[in-house]
Amino acid sequence: MGNSSSSNKISAQDKAILDMKNQRDKLRQYQKRITVLTNHEKAIAKECLAKGDTNRAKLALRRKKYQEGLIQKTDAQLAQLEQLSSDVEFALVQKDVLYGLQQGTAVLKEIHKEMGGIENVEKLLGENAEARAYQEEISELLANKMSNQDEDEVEDELEALEQEVNGVTLPDPPVKQPEFTPEQKAKISRDRAQRRAQERAAEQEQTAEPMLA
Amino acid sequence: MATTTEPPTAFQFPPHYSFPPFFTLQPVATTRSSQLQSWSTFIQSYCRHHHIFSLSLIDALSTPLFHNTTLSRQLSLRDAKAILTWMASPEGGSRAEFISSTGNKKKAVDEGEGGRVWIYWRRPEEWAAQLEEWVDRTGQKGVVLTLYEIVEGEASVREEFAGMDMELLRMSLGVCVKRGRAQIFSSGGEGEGIKFF
Repeated sequence: MGNSSSSNKISAQDKAILDMKNQRDKLRQYQKRITVLTNHEKAIAKECLAKGDTNRAKLALRRKKYQEGLIQKTDAQLAQLEQLSSDVEFALVQKDVLYGLQQGTAVLKEIHKEMGGIENVEKLLGENAEARAYQEEISELLANKMSNQDEDEVEDELEALEQEVNGVTLPDPPVKQPEFTPEQKAKISRDRAQRRAQERAAEQEQTAEPMLA
Repeated sequence: MATTTEPPTAFQFPPHYSFPPFFTLQPVATTRSSQLQSWSTFIQSYCRHHHIFSLSLIDALSTPLFHNTTLSRQLSLRDAKAILTWMASPEGGSRAEFISSTGNKKKAVDEGEGGRVWIYWRRPEEWAAQLEEWVDRTGQKGVVLTLYEIVEGEASVREEFAGMDMELLRMSLGVCVKRGRAQIFSSGGEGEGIKFF
């Protein structure tokens, strides 16, 4: 919004509204003046009464009455002016609304044109349904191709997975050292010696083999 | 011509207002500068409270602003002028401006004792922001407003700018126009209008 472009934003309507509002302001100012005058007349009347000058007090009051009448008249005029200016402003709003509706309708029409009419949409929908049915057929065919064996494997895997997820219960580990009798101990050491001898023999065999080859 | 609308609550005078030396400008530079600052703040808050937009120097001297009747102390015209000159300087935050009838700012200071001074408890730029905010808040964008309506209308009675000096209003609106937020126009006759965008 630059300064240069703002100069043409004031339309003739704006000026007319300004005229009306200025008129209204003038009436307001007039009312203010008259109100001051009526207060003044009242003060005069009071003063005259205090002095005992009834006639002049009456005169002042009569003037006051007249001015009050003027205020009432201007009030009516003010109301009229205000109504008119708000009518004008509302009409401007209506104009804006109408413009908006017009614009919206034009865009909507444009979009409809791009979509190419109802027949086109119907045709497209029909094609869509056909394509979907075709796709379903293909899926069914493919699904039937799966053998029983495959299905079994799938089931097995599922079970394994389930066990993994739920966890298998294992026996508790021993908490105490095992206790042996002297005979058992002797047997264990005998077993160990035997096993070692076997291992040594196997090792010798292995190292000998490459020499043979 | 100080526009005064009687406020419902009394103005709370600052504590230094009842301190007699406050009413004589001190010669020592540091004391003086802090005194000028206090006076500036005091004048601004006083004017804000009483909705005074401009002061007539000679008339203001006898008002409670410069005249403490309980102490029977009064600021001298020379000192008042010094304070306002300081307020008008950039050092004082440009919180005042001498109004000249000839349009020459420099001359306005010397124009005589009756010189009028704007008291900027809100500077025109700040008023502009205030006005824009009001227009925005009351949904009056794009509506034609008369200048009279802005300061005297029923819609702005409760606003701080109610009863504002026309001249000051024009300056503030000028700022809005410069910012491209509004346009002032007239339709041949007297009375200007403004339209905010």
